[in-house]
Amino acid sequence: MAATLAGVPARPRRLLASRRTRIGILYALPAVAYLLALFVYPIFSTLLLSVQDLDGSLTLHWYADALTGVNLSVLFTTLRIAAETALFSLVIGFLLANAISRLRPLPAALAMLIVVVPHFISALVRTYGWIIMLGDKGLVNQLLAGLGVPGAPYQLLYNEIGVVIGTTAMMLPYTVLLLYGVMRGVDRRLLAAAASMGAGRLVIFRRVYLPLVAPGLATAGLLSFILALGYYITPALMGGPNQTMIASLINQQVMKQNQWNGAAAEGVILLLLTFAGLLLVKLVSSLGEAKKRSAS
Amino acid sequence: MIGLRSTLAGRIALTAFATVILLFLALPIVVIVITSFSKSAFASFPPDSFSLGWYQALFADGSKWPGALSLSAVIASLSTVFSLILGVTAATALTRSELPLRSAVYALVLGPLIIPHIVTALGLFLLFEPASMLGSPLAIALGHTVMASPIAVMILIATLRGIDERLEDAAASMGAGRLTIARRITLPLAAPGMVAAAIFSFITSFDDFYVSQFLSSVGTLTLPVQIYNSLMFDIDPSVTAVSALLIAFAILALVLVGLVRWLGSGRQNALLSVETATALGAPGKETP
Repeated sequence: MAATLAGVPARPRRLLASRRTRIGILYALPAVAYLLALFVYPIFSTLLLSVQDLDGSLTLHWYADALTGVNLSVLFTTLRIAAETALFSLVIGFLLANAISRLRPLPAALAMLIVVVPHFISALVRTYGWIIMLGDKGLVNQLLAGLGVPGAPYQLLYNEIGVVIGTTAMMLPYTVLLLYGVMRGVDRRLLAAAASMGAGRLVIFRRVYLPLVAPGLATAGLLSFILALGYYITPALMGGPNQTMIASLINQQVMKQNQWNGAAAEGVILLLLTFAGLLLVKLVSSLGEAKKRSAS
Repeated sequence: MIGLRSTLAGRIALTAFATVILLFLALPIVVIVITSFSKSAFASFPPDSFSLGWYQALFADGSKWPGALSLSAVIASLSTVFSLILGVTAATALTRSELPLRSAVYALVLGPLIIPHIVTALGLFLLFEPASMLGSPLAIALGHTVMASPIAVMILIATLRGIDERLEDAAASMGAGRLTIARRITLPLAAPGMVAAAIFSFITSFDDFYVSQFLSSVGTLTLPVQIYNSLMFDIDPSVTAVSALLIAFAILALVLVGLVRWLGSGRQNALLSVETATALGAPGKETP
């Protein structure tokens, strides 16, 4: 009796902790098992396939194929279009998010609604909308011709201009959402403090505001870049043969050429680029944290 | 607040620019809806005359669209059920328990959101092809669940975090069993978040193109694959009407989510005292 009483204070807590742990494992199990089987394992088998020759021996020649000739130029095209998309959506997104963050709550909410709703509409459908708008007799060319812009109508489809307009439009809701969060997180007292010490608006913008939002900008730009690397629908529908991106190539290799190993190698390259980008995101955000701590 | 606002001209320029960009975000959607009522066969804008011809063509005999639509709906429903089961359990584990390797589980569960979809789709193809499950609606639904369950988990984590655990503790202290607590306290409070998770899982599966493209066969083309094919290969003008229907579905789904959140927002506040309720904010903030 005395012995059990002595054990009472420590024991229920440990018992409770282990019960909570057991419940946690039990509840986490379905999702973990599911994703291990249908997400992690398939990616590992892709990895394995990319270093296997047709007879099963180890080889790197699928990577050599992926990094030479036409495939290499597809890789460069992918990097170029992703960079263009990230740059344009970052600049336009910055201006738009900045304008929205100055609005009063109700107009700001309405503006964000216009930004967010397209995000939930199929990219396929939105791309089709852009195809209708950018044609020779589409709304955009009619508008340009109506305004008397010389040279109109322009060829805005089936070339890189068309693709970048399309991919930027697909990306913009996402970038604006990220940037809007960053801008709302800026501590306005820092700006007020700079103003009270006599700093001009331009100086405040350059020396206080920009350094504060810079990590967020870099993160948003990198994430947009990473996402754009995998774009498939928009470049395939709005671009020409020179705008083939790596995702289209993977699809062609599997569906048309039955070339699984090559497709696997391309997939692994895309995966590695994604991880490199994520590593940079992590680096930037830890740098940003350090800066924020030293500022306040 | 600063920067361009310094001059009136700059301020006007920024506002005008923002308005134009917002317009261009909305325009492709508006253009599709208007064009779908056009009479002419080729998508020109603005249309010369209006008719419901393309909507009638959608459901005409021999049309491929009703089949694709119902296939996509069946697959999305299955995938929603799977995602909700995985989502509720995983979100419970991540918010209501002491989980070893918590951050690893978190990373795994959210991984499919950041890995390029084409890579996930390729992996699933390599998994299902040898099992000769290509073209099986079940395989496509299982594949979509990989994409949709992270979104369900995210929404449900936010939902469960928004529910004050003290309510559950209070019920427990008054002798309620775990099942009773789940049924009488947690479930009613989490219901709006669960509906949101279900709707977003459904949309994710319904709109998915990558996985469907890799896992479908000639007989089982989902709606997005069918739309892609008709945009890429054969110009079928009724694709405009299908697109307009998809836009209507998406907006309807978002309105539904908004409505459910609005209906659910008062519940917890009624159970808690005023000062804690104001500190909590709205439950179920979903940021997919």
